[in-house]
Amino acid sequence: MSARLSLTVKTQADELARITAAVEDFGEQQDWPPDLVFRVNLALEELGMNIMNHGYDAGLHEFEITLISEDDSLTIEIVDGGRPFDPLHDAKQPDVGAAIEDRPIGGLGVYFVREMMDEMHYKRERGKNHLTLVSRR
Amino acid sequence: MNTKWESHDGAIVATVDGRVDGANAHEFQEALEAVIKASESAVILDFEQLSYISSAGLRVVLLAAKELRKQSKQFAVCSLAGSILEVFKISGFDQIIPVHSTQAEAIAAVNA
Repeated sequence: MSARLSLTVKTQADELARITAAVEDFGEQQDWPPDLVFRVNLALEELGMNIMNHGYDAGLHEFEITLISEDDSLTIEIVDGGRPFDPLHDAKQPDVGAAIEDRPIGGLGVYFVREMMDEMHYKRERGKNHLTLVSRR
Repeated sequence: MNTKWESHDGAIVATVDGRVDGANAHEFQEALEAVIKASESAVILDFEQLSYISSAGLRVVLLAAKELRKQSKQFAVCSLAGSILEVFKISGFDQIIPVHSTQAEAIAAVNA
């Protein structure tokens, strides 16, 4: 069985609640374990907030989120027309072994997603960022 | 998200429930600032009722850890559910902030 959820999201912070609610409903329908719902929400928040906060110079824009739920995997696709950003190469690796005094504030978001998903693919095509994440169940 | 706190043998135990995300992290930060101000010797965050935390929430936890270190007060967290514990470990926070399985254990540890 394969099911699909598509969302068009505006670049404004209050969209986060709508994404979370949609993911929770979809996960319930598809019988996801709670930790998969958590991972998907985390990935969409971290990457979605990046697009909202850093993707565009100004103004209200829209980007697309698609979830494809299959028996053995979950695929997330995020497509945005903001500035080029490849989370695999453009995000700094945090030093997670540093002492409290030396730990910088922030910089964990993309790292979480990389650690919690099984696959991450990026391409820039026709002026858009295409990010694909896969979590195997 | 809701934060409640009470004093336990000199330590303040703050219970955080619900979700801490990019939309309400600033409220979480204000709540923790009040808790730190009210604390004498130690702050314990009880995450038993916390269902979700993102990097925006962990940023606030790290700010609290730094501030408490500066004030020479102790800091601990307790009762982290599966996925919360996982993000704590992935970010290496379990190496810089003591993590206890129960509130009683955390209180005993900061009073030791």
